[in-house]
Amino acid sequence: MRPNSISDMRQALAKQQYIASEEIATVLFLAEQLDKPVLAEGPAGVGKTELGKAWAAVTGRELIRLQCYEGLDETKALYEWEYAKQMLYTQLLRDKLHDLLSSASSLTQAADRLAAEEDVFFSRRFLLPRPLLKAITSEQPVVLLIDEIDRSDAEFEAFLLEILSDFQVSVPELGTIRAHHMPLVVLTSNNTRELSEALKRRCLYLYIDYPAVETELEIVRMKVPDLAPQLARQAVELVHRLRQIDLKKHPSISETLDWARALVTLNAHLLDRQVLETTLSVLVKHESDLARARHAIARSGPNGGAGDEPAAARLRLGRGGTREGRYGPPNS
Amino acid sequence: MDRRIVEFIAALRAAGVRVSLAESNDAFRAAEKTGVLERDTFRVGLRTTLVKEADDQPVFEQLFPLYFGSGGPPLQNAGQQLTPEQRAMLAAALRALLQQMQQQQEQNRPERGRSAAGQPQQGGSSDALSQLLRLLRWLLSGQSPSREELDQAGGTAGLVPGADPGQQKWQTRRMMRALGMQGLPEMLEALWQALAEAGMRREAIEQLRQTVEANQEALEQQVADYVGAGIARRLAAQPPRRPGPELMDRPFESLSEAEADALRAQVRRLAASLRSRAALRQKQADSGNFDARRTMRANLRNGGVPLELRYKRRHLKPKLALICDVSTSMRHCAEFMLRLIYELQDQVTKARSFAFIDDMREISQDFATYQPDVAVERVLTRLPPGSYNTDLGFSLNTFCHEYLDAVDRRTTVIFVGDGRNNFNGPRLDLVDAIKRRARRIIWLNPEPARLWGSGDSDMPDYVPMCDSVHEVGNLAQLAAAVDQLLAGR
Repeated sequence: MRPNSISDMRQALAKQQYIASEEIATVLFLAEQLDKPVLAEGPAGVGKTELGKAWAAVTGRELIRLQCYEGLDETKALYEWEYAKQMLYTQLLRDKLHDLLSSASSLTQAADRLAAEEDVFFSRRFLLPRPLLKAITSEQPVVLLIDEIDRSDAEFEAFLLEILSDFQVSVPELGTIRAHHMPLVVLTSNNTRELSEALKRRCLYLYIDYPAVETELEIVRMKVPDLAPQLARQAVELVHRLRQIDLKKHPSISETLDWARALVTLNAHLLDRQVLETTLSVLVKHESDLARARHAIARSGPNGGAGDEPAAARLRLGRGGTREGRYGPPNS
Repeated sequence: MDRRIVEFIAALRAAGVRVSLAESNDAFRAAEKTGVLERDTFRVGLRTTLVKEADDQPVFEQLFPLYFGSGGPPLQNAGQQLTPEQRAMLAAALRALLQQMQQQQEQNRPERGRSAAGQPQQGGSSDALSQLLRLLRWLLSGQSPSREELDQAGGTAGLVPGADPGQQKWQTRRMMRALGMQGLPEMLEALWQALAEAGMRREAIEQLRQTVEANQEALEQQVADYVGAGIARRLAAQPPRRPGPELMDRPFESLSEAEADALRAQVRRLAASLRSRAALRQKQADSGNFDARRTMRANLRNGGVPLELRYKRRHLKPKLALICDVSTSMRHCAEFMLRLIYELQDQVTKARSFAFIDDMREISQDFATYQPDVAVERVLTRLPPGSYNTDLGFSLNTFCHEYLDAVDRRTTVIFVGDGRNNFNGPRLDLVDAIKRRARRIIWLNPEPARLWGSGDSDMPDYVPMCDSVHEVGNLAQLAAAVDQLLAGR
C-alpha cells in the first residue's frame, strides 16, 4: 500500500503509533515518489529507528535491518560464500564426481569436465545473503533500515554508494545482481562523525530534533496511556527544562517514555522531591549530569526543595528564564 | 517558478551551503511532486533535497521567505461585511475626515511657513496626507499595493541596496513609514469616532477595526516580502564566497573577521576528515603477527581448515600531551591553535591539554566540558596576555613538577608556540627530561622558519630536541602537519 498524499502518510504513521511531524511525513512521501533513500539525523533517541519500522508497517513491507558498527565489512553486510556447505557438498558428491572424472582419458579432459561443473559450487545455492543482498534480491518489496551509519568506517560508506544509487551489487563469481523492486531505504545517523558529501548527495535529508512539548505529550499519552494527564504534562515539561541545561547527554523521547512508565509503576501522583530523587536516574544517565540536573531543579525553587510543592512547577516558575541564555541548546 | 528556484539555489551557494548539480535536480523533481500551492510542503521538499547539514538549515530558513514570500494572507475587503447603509456611513465619514484634515493642513500651512521650515516640508505634509489616504484605501478595500507603488515607496524610503538578509526587518520598517504608517493610528481613531457619532453599531465598528488590523499585518508582510525579494535579487547576483585555496595559504595574522569565520569552519572540516583518515590508518596497520586463536575461531565453519588467516590487530592507542603558548606574540593564531587542540583532544581519548604564558595551566577540563567557542574563550580570558612575560622555562618547570604524569612512553608531546622566551632560560634539561619519558616530541611553530633564532627566539635550541618540527603559518601547513602526526611518521 502506498499513501497517496502527505496527509495520508501522516495518518498511516499515526495508526502505527508513530506521531510524525508534517516534515517527516513530507520527506517520506517524497522518498517514495522520487525513489531516494532518506538520511535521518538527530540526537539519539528521537525515534529515527522507529521511523524505519513504522514506515515498513505503513507500506506493509518487510523490514530488513542492518546495524552498523566499526569494522563492518562487505561479508557481513552484503554476502558471504558458505564454505562449510560447499565443502559438505563436495564430500557428499564425491562418488558422483568420481564417476564423472574416472572416464576421462587425460588430465586435461578431467579438468575440463570439472570446470564445466564449477557453476554448481559457485551458485546462489551457496551464497549466504546478508541484509543488503537480501533487500535487493527479495521477491517482495522491502524497507531497508541502515542503522547508525556514522558508526561504520569510511570505506563501508563508499561501498554503500553503489547500492544506494543504482540498487545493484556485483558478485565477481555471479555477475551483477539487480534489485527486483526498489527498496525504500532509511539511513540513520547520530552525527558522531561527518558523513561523506557523496553519501549525503544521494539522500533526502531529514533532521529530527526533540519534539515540542505538545507533540511529546501526545507521544507519552499514546505510549503510556496509564499516566495521569496532569502528571504527564508536568513530566514532559520537566524533561524539556532538562534539555535546556548543559548536560553531557540530554534525555531523549525514549527516556521520557521510560520515565513515564517508571512513574506509573511507582504509582506516583505528583512530582515531589522523593519521586524525583528515586527516578531521575532513568532520565539522566551520567553521574555528573545527575548532580547538575539535581542542582538545577533544586536551585530553581527559592527554598531548595524543602516545601512539598511539585518540583516541576518550581522549576518552571524559577529563574530558569534568565539562565536559558547561558545554557542554550548547542545548535541554536 | 523554475527560475526562482534556480536563483534560490544560487543564493544558498552564495551563503556557503554546498549544493551539487544532482541535488538541484532533485529539488526540481521534489517541487514537481509537492507543487507550490502547499507552501510548507514545498519548503520541506526543497530543504530535504538541498540542505544536507543541520547547521545549514537556519540559512535555508532565512533565505526561503526572501524568494518564495512568507505566505502571508491576502488583504480582506472590509466593505463586504457591511450593509449598504453602513457602507454609505463609512464613505460619508471618510469624506468628512478628509475635509477636516485638509482644513487642518490649510491652517497649519502659514504656521509652518513662519517656522522657517521652508518649501520641502510643505510639500512633504501634503504628500503625507495623500499617502495616508492611499494607505487607508488599501486597508479598507483589501486592495494590495501595486508593484509600481511599492517601487515608489522604496524610492522615498531610500532603501539601501544591501544584500544582507539581516536587513530585511529594518528596511521593512522604513518602507512602512514611507507608506504613511506613522499617521495611521491617529486617523483610524478619528474614523472610528466619526462612525460611532454617525450612529454605526458598536459591533460593526469592532469588526471593521479587526479587519483593518489584520489587513495592516498582511500589508506589512507584503512589504517585507517586497523588501526580501530585492535583497534576494542582489544576493543571487553576488559571486559565491567559499574559503578557497588562497585562504588556506593566507597567514593567520592577516585574516578579516569573516575570513576567520570561514577558517574556523575549515578547522572543523579538517578535524572531521582527520577522524576518518585516522580510522583508515588504524585499519591498514591491521597486519602483522599471526593470531592463532582468532584464526581457529574464524575457520571453525571450514572444518578447521585455515582458509582465512587472522592477524593480531595492533592497537595503536595514541596519547597526547598538547602544550600551547598563548602569549602576546602568539595571540593572533592562538585561537586557531586552541581550536585545533580542542578537536585533537576530541579525537584522541587520552589527551591532555595545557596552556602557558608565564606559567603552565592545565586546560583539558575546559575543553572536555564546554563547546569549542566557549572553551577557547574561557582559556584566553583565564590566561590574559601581559607584556614580555612569556617564560617557557618556568612553565616547563611547573609542568615537570605537577603534570609529568601526563607523559609516558606512549605519549606524543606536541608544543605549539614560537619559542620566543624573552631571554629567559630555555631549560633544555627539562625538555630533555620530557623527551626521555615521551614517545616523541613534535613542535608546531607559526613563525616562518627564517625568523627562528632571531631576537629572543630560542627555537634553534629546541629543534634538535624534537623528533619533528613543523612551520604552521597557515591552514594548509597545519593540515599537512597534523596529517603527518596521525600517520605516526
